[in-house]
Order: sequence, then structure tokens, then C-alpha cells
Amino acid sequence: MTISDDTLTLYFYTDGLSRRERQEVAAALQTDRALGARYAALSAELQQLTDAPAVDAPADLVQRLHDCVDRLAELPAAAPDAARFNVSSFFWGAALAATLAIGIFIGITVTRETPDLVVPRMAEVPAPMPPTTSPFVRGLRVHLQNSERGLSGLPPGDAERALLLMNIIEQNRLFERAAVQNDADNLARVLRAFELVLARLAAGDLDAEETDALRNKLLFELNVVLTKLSAPPSTDSQTI
Amino acid sequence: MPIRKLPLFCLLVLIPAAAVIAADGDVSDADALKIAALEALASAPPERALPRAKMILEGDNSDEVKESALFILSQIETPEAQALLLETARRSSGDLQIEAIHMLGIGGDATSLAALGAIYAAGDSEVRDAVLESYLIANDPQSILELAIAADVEADLEAAIEMLGAMGAKKELQALRENRGVSESLIEAYAISGDLESLRAIASDGSNPEVQVQAIEGLGILHHGDANALLLEIYRASDSADVREAALDGMFIANYDEGLLQLYRDSSDPTEKRALLEYLTMMDSDGIWDVIDSALQGEPQ
Repeated sequence: MTISDDTLTLYFYTDGLSRRERQEVAAALQTDRALGARYAALSAELQQLTDAPAVDAPADLVQRLHDCVDRLAELPAAAPDAARFNVSSFFWGAALAATLAIGIFIGITVTRETPDLVVPRMAEVPAPMPPTTSPFVRGLRVHLQNSERGLSGLPPGDAERALLLMNIIEQNRLFERAAVQNDADNLARVLRAFELVLARLAAGDLDAEETDALRNKLLFELNVVLTKLSAPPSTDSQTI
Repeated sequence: MPIRKLPLFCLLVLIPAAAVIAADGDVSDADALKIAALEALASAPPERALPRAKMILEGDNSDEVKESALFILSQIETPEAQALLLETARRSSGDLQIEAIHMLGIGGDATSLAALGAIYAAGDSEVRDAVLESYLIANDPQSILELAIAADVEADLEAAIEMLGAMGAKKELQALRENRGVSESLIEAYAISGDLESLRAIASDGSNPEVQVQAIEGLGILHHGDANALLLEIYRASDSADVREAALDGMFIANYDEGLLQLYRDSSDPTEKRALLEYLTMMDSDGIWDVIDSALQGEPQ
């Protein structure tokens, strides 16, 4: 079993991993000395961050974080009927969320943004990121786009579907917390509402018609939020 | 909104999106186009979006289309939009009412959230659940606490407690213990919210053996080193068979095989050792094989 630093980071923060994944990491740490040494070093680094007073991060680190978020955000959106959704993309999302959490913790000054109504988002072409968007908002867009792709191609098997939905829920929780930390209460509320719908979908007690209806509702809401996050507030009253 | 007034580029975007929605479920083509148009309202200024969403709500449209309009309203942070949501929550019924109640939670307006109390009081169980969910969405545990304190039906109290547990609202749950006393659902909520101190207090209080046992078992749900240590301490300190069994159950729930192995090694009572061995076997503990080998060889542990 190969365990990445991203997974170890999530393990350190006791977040973003399922109970089973945490148990697997814990078991591997007990048996794999090299992994244990790697985790010890990583923990020491993360602990230093935890203990350090909040200070502005070096400009180059901020830029690297922004570049990382931008690269993830600018990945082309898959068409709904394209290749099946890859669950591992959520682990990228987890890594991104962890990176953001660290970024927030070490005191990177993020732009507080309360997006207002914006120009229409083209259906198939991802809108370019506005240059002033905060890392949190850009990360959230990645999460919402991942969720959209995941929901558009829900796997037919109950277990696979539940796993995917649980991954979306875990990511959603991370971003809900990040929204609270960024004083974006409006986004935190929307994400909590998403979780309720995701949990109903994951429960697996709905028939096919109910599942479709709920999924379409959630896709609509995801699209609306993505539209709002896509560009600065519009002042053009002729848009519609 | 008259479709003919849409700019051409907007229609070019909306029609493919509508086709995707229509092909995906049982939504009609006309409804799919309306929902796609509503999605585009997210990009409009509030003064443009609000009257159109209102027109959809008041018109002869399906619930799916109206629910989409409600979400658009939840994203418009004006008193008029919130008032329209509140009016829908008060006057509609069925799924639309439930959705409007949820959308008030997303809106997060304090006045609207306060008004949900009257809707809760007048509503059936589905409406009451939706109000609790709305407060969860708005992260307003205080309002749930007030409903719980005022609840005159046990099921309503339990639902409110369950919601507070899911929200991790320790302070409100502690206040509830003072107001409504300890119950099984409250103990579960303490466990779910990770409130070690409240569970410790109840687990140490032998005045009500039934809730004491529940609290001890609840410690196992915490999956926390301090809780595991407390379970070990409780087991060792108690003379009560029920309390000791609850402590073992707690360790089993916590998958705390190290504690059980420690108790096994410390024990010189064959009956107790057999009981502990059963737990370790059920847990499929890694340490069980050493214990079994030693027992088979007749070695003292």
C-alpha cells in the first residue's frame, strides 16, 4: 500500500479520511518503519505550523499556493457523458483542501469575497478565473466542479455510488469549514444544504426517479453557485 | 420571463443545457428550459432576477421549476427575496413548503429564521423536521435549543437533540441537560458531538444505573484516548457487574483492544479472563494470537 504525503497530512489533521482509511494508515504506520519516519518528519513540520504564531506567508509560498489552485481549477470540465468520474480526483480535492487549510492557518491573507450576481457561465467551457478571486473561492470552485462531474456520472453500483457520495460529503465538509474560517457564511450555509441532499442520495433508500430528481436539483444548485463564483458582480442590467 | 427577450447568446447556452436536463430525467422540455433560464438568473442583478423568480412561483409551474426559483431567491440577499421565501414557507404545502423552509436556512436572515418557530408549531412532523434542518443549514443551534426546551412531544425533543448532536452543539446540549434532564438520546448526542466531559459526569454518577450504563457505552463512540483511559479506569474501579460490562462494551465499540489486553494480562480470575478473551476474539485483535498461544501452552499472562 502506497501512502502519499497528502494522505498523511489529512491523517495528521484527523480530517478528510474515512474511518477505514485512517485505520489503514494507522496499521501501515505500525508496520512500515520508513513510512513512520516520513510521518514523523511531516508531523513535526505540521506541528511547527500549528504552534507558530499567525504571520504573513512568504510571497513565493503564496504564489505557489495560488498557482497550484489555478492549475487544478483550470483543468477542463468533463462533459457529463464523457469518461466515468474518477474518485481519485476527490483525493486531489482533499489535498487541495488540506493545502488551503494550512494556507489559512499560516495566515495567508485571503480576499474576503461575497460574490454577487454575475454574468452567465457558458455551459461547456469553464469560465476563466477572475484574477482577484481568493484561493478559498478558487478551491471551492474546484470542489463544486468535481462534485458536478461526480453527480453527473454516478456509478450504478450501490457500494461504488455510496463511496463516491461519501467522498463528496467529506470534501463538502472541509470546504464548509473553510467557508466559516473565511467569513463566507453565505457559502457555508449553501454547502450545509448540499450536504443534506448528498446524505439523502447516499442513504440509498430512494427509487430511481427520486434519485434523478434529487440529483438534478443538486446539479442545478451547484451550477447556480458556480455561476456566482465565476466572475465579479455584474452591473449590467441588460444581461437578461 | 418572455423567452424572446433573451439575447441570442444566452439561448445558445440555455438550449443545450436544457436538453441535458430533459434527457436526464422526467422533466419536460418546457420545464427544462425554464430551469435553465432560472439558472441564468444567477447572473442577473437582483432587481432583474427577483420579479422573474416571483413570476415563476406565482405561475402555473411544476414543483421542480418552483423549487429552482426558490433556490435563486435564497441567493438574492434582499429583504424582498427573503419575504417571498417566508411567504412561500407559510402558505404552500408539501414539497414546496419543505423546500422554502430549507431555503430560508440558506438565506440566513435572522428575522426569517425567527419566524420559522411559528411554522414549526403549526406544522406536521415533516415540516418540523424541515425547520430543524433549516436551523442546521443556518448554523443556529440556539433556535433548536429553544424548540427542544419547549417541546411537549418526546419525538420532537429527540429530533431536536439529534440535530444538536449532529451540529456538535455541546453548549446547547449541556443547557438541555439542565432543562430537560438526561435521556438516552441526549447521551447519544453527547457521544456524537464528542462531549467527553458531559459523558464523564453521567458515567460517574450512579444515581440512575440505566443512564450511567448508556453513558459508559457512549464513551466508546468518542474514539478518543482520554475516553479509552476513562473506560479502563471505570472498569477497574467499579464493583458493579453492569458497569464493568458497559465499560467492556465501550472498549469494544472503541475498538480499544489494547485496553482489553491489558485487563486480560492483569487479571488472575479465569472467569474474567474468559470473558475478556471473548471480546478480544470478536474484535479480531492482533494481540489475540499471543494470548491464545500462551493460554494453550499454559503460561501465565
